[in-house]
Amino acid sequence: MTQWAVELKEVKKAYRTGPIEVPALRGISLRVAPGEFLAIAGPSGSGKTTLLNIIGGLDRADTGEVLVERKNLQLLSSGELARLRLQRLGFVFQAYNLLPVLTALENAEFTLLLQGVPVKQRKERVQKLFAEIGLAGLEHRRPGELSGGQQQRVAVARAMVTEPALILADEPTANLDSVTATALLEVMEQLNRAHNTTFVYSTHDPQVMERARRLIRLHDGQIASDVAHAGHVL
Amino acid sequence: MTGILLLVRIGWRNLWRNPRGTLLTALALGLGLTLLLISLGLLDGSHEQMVGNGVRFGTGHVVIQAQGYQDSGSAELLLPARVASTTGEFLHTEALGHVVRGVSPRLLASGLLSSADNASGVSMMGVIPKEERAVSLIPQRIVEGNYLKDDQTSGVVIGVELARKLAVKIGAKVVLMIQAVQPPDTEVTGAGGGDMQSTLLRVTGIFRTGIQAIDAHVIQLPLPEAQALLGVPGQVTQIAVLLEREGDSLMVAQGLRKQLAGVPVEILPWRESMPTLAQLFLLDDAFNYIMNGVVLAMVGLGILNTILMRVLERRYEFGLCSALGLRPVQLGVMIIGESLALTTISLALGLVLGLSAQHYFATDGLDLRWFFHSSLPTALVFDPIIYSRLSMTRIASSVGIVFLTATIISFYPAFKAARTELPGALKVF
Repeated sequence: MTQWAVELKEVKKAYRTGPIEVPALRGISLRVAPGEFLAIAGPSGSGKTTLLNIIGGLDRADTGEVLVERKNLQLLSSGELARLRLQRLGFVFQAYNLLPVLTALENAEFTLLLQGVPVKQRKERVQKLFAEIGLAGLEHRRPGELSGGQQQRVAVARAMVTEPALILADEPTANLDSVTATALLEVMEQLNRAHNTTFVYSTHDPQVMERARRLIRLHDGQIASDVAHAGHVL
Repeated sequence: MTGILLLVRIGWRNLWRNPRGTLLTALALGLGLTLLLISLGLLDGSHEQMVGNGVRFGTGHVVIQAQGYQDSGSAELLLPARVASTTGEFLHTEALGHVVRGVSPRLLASGLLSSADNASGVSMMGVIPKEERAVSLIPQRIVEGNYLKDDQTSGVVIGVELARKLAVKIGAKVVLMIQAVQPPDTEVTGAGGGDMQSTLLRVTGIFRTGIQAIDAHVIQLPLPEAQALLGVPGQVTQIAVLLEREGDSLMVAQGLRKQLAGVPVEILPWRESMPTLAQLFLLDDAFNYIMNGVVLAMVGLGILNTILMRVLERRYEFGLCSALGLRPVQLGVMIIGESLALTTISLALGLVLGLSAQHYFATDGLDLRWFFHSSLPTALVFDPIIYSRLSMTRIASSVGIVFLTATIISFYPAFKAARTELPGALKVF
C-alpha cells in the first residue's frame, strides 16, 4: 500500500462574508507521492492558496479528509497542527518570508531552534544548506540587505533545514523577475532531487509551471486537469 | 530554554528596528516615572516640611507631660522632678544620638499681657533659650529685635499680631499677670499658690510665624523667670522632643514609655498630641495617593498604547511565526519580553531623569515665592520653598510599581498576539 505524502478526499471549503457564502474549494481529491515536484496553477481566486493552506494545516476544510503522512489534519488540535508544521512541514510564502530583525542564518535556523536542535548542529546544517543553494557568505546579512531572490532562497533554506516531509510554497516566484525566478526553481528542483523532499507550490506563471513534473490546474475550486509533464494524464 | 532566548532576542531586536521611535517611546514612558518621582519627592518633601514646621510650632515629634494634661491643659499638672533627668539620660544615649535633634523643657500657663495701651490673653511658655532654639521654629522667625539670649534672666518675645494689638515695639515694657500654680493635693498657704502674680517684662524680640494663633497669643520668656512667677521652681509642664526623622516618633515614644513606666506621665507622639494636624496630613496623604494613582494610570495607558500599536502593526509577522510552528504561548512570551525590555529602557531613562530632577529639587528646592509675588499669605504654615525628599524605599517602590504595571498591562497585547489567527494573518494584499 502506497504511503502518500498528501491525500485529499472530497475537500470542500467556503468563506463566509456576512450572509454570503463564497465557495473556495468544491470537492478536491488528490494524492501526492513522496518526492513529487508538483505545481498547482490557476487564475486568481481559483483556490490555490486555500488548497495549500489546508494541506499545510494553516486552515481547516469544511468537509472531506486531509491526510498528511497519513495523519488526518481534521482531527488534530491547533497545538498538534503547530507541532506538525514545525516538525514535518516547510513553508515558503510569496513575500515577506523572513523576520526582518534576524540575520539570514538566524532566519534559516529559526525552526531548528524551536525544535531544540543544539547550536553546533544548527550552524552546520544551515551552513551546508547555504553552500548548496549559493547563499554562502550572506549568513550575517539582514533581510533588508538581501535581494528578493536571495530572501526567497533563505526562505527555502529555512523550509528545508528541518528535513521536512513536505514543502509548501505559495507563489514563491510571484515577486521575482524571470531570471531570479528560474534560479529559485532550479534550487528547489535541486533540493527535491538531492533530498527527495516533496514540493507542492502554486503559481500562475507559465514558465514556472513548465518546471513542475506534475501540474494540477484549478478552476473555480475544482481540479480542471492533472497532468504529468512526461506527457500522460494522471 | 534556547527557544526563550531566541524569543527574547527577537523581542529585543524588534525594539531597535526603529531606534528613534523606540527611544522616543521609552522617553515618553520614562517621563512617566520621572513625573512620579518628582511628584513623590516634592509631596514627601513638602509633607515632611509641613510636619516639621507643624511639630516645631507645637509639641515636637514626641512630648512628655503629666498624666491628664492633654485633656485638661491645666497649668497645675506638672512633671514629676525625676522625669527630666530620666528623659535626658535616655535621649542622650549613644543609640539615640543621631535620632534626637533637640529636647526642650517648657513651663506653660495662661495669663494676661498688658501694655500702656491694651491687654491681651496669652499662652506663656517658659523656655531655656538654648534648648528651645534646637526644637522650636519661633527663634528663627524673629522679625524685630532678638530672640532670648542663653544667659538672659528676663525679657519676653511676642508675636507680631500681639505686638500690634498691644502697640508695643522692641524695648517696650509689658506686664504679665498670671495665676500662680497651686499643685493638686496642696493646701492653700496664703502666699504663692493660686494667687495672681505679675512681673514687668521688656520686649526683646517680635516673631512672625504666619500662624494667627501663635502670632497673636504665644509669648516666650526665660524658664527661671516663668517658674518664679508661677511659684514652681525647677518644675516644667512638658518636655518637647524634636527628632531628626518623623518616622522615628513612635519608636522614641515607646522607648520613653518603657523608661518612664510607672511614672504618672503621658508620652505622646505628635499625631496624638496634635490630632488636628495629624488629620490634616491624613487628608494630604489621601490626596497624594490619588495624584500618584493618576500619574501611574497615565504611565500604564502609555505602555498599553505603545505595545498594542506595535503588536497590531506586526500581524503578518506573528502569522508567519505561527505558520512556522511557534505556539501561541511562545508568541505571547515574545511580546511580554519585548514590552519588559522597553519598560526596562524606559525605567532606566526615567530613573536618570527623575533622580536628576530630584537632586535639583532636593538641593535648590522648588521656589513657590514667585507664585505669591512679594507677599506671602499670613496663614502660610509651610515653607514657600519645597525641598524634595525621596527615600530608597520610595524609589524602589515607584520603579517596582511601574514595572509591575507594565508587566500586567503587557499581558493584553501578548494575548492579542497569541490569538493571531491563521491563515488570515498571512494575507498581505
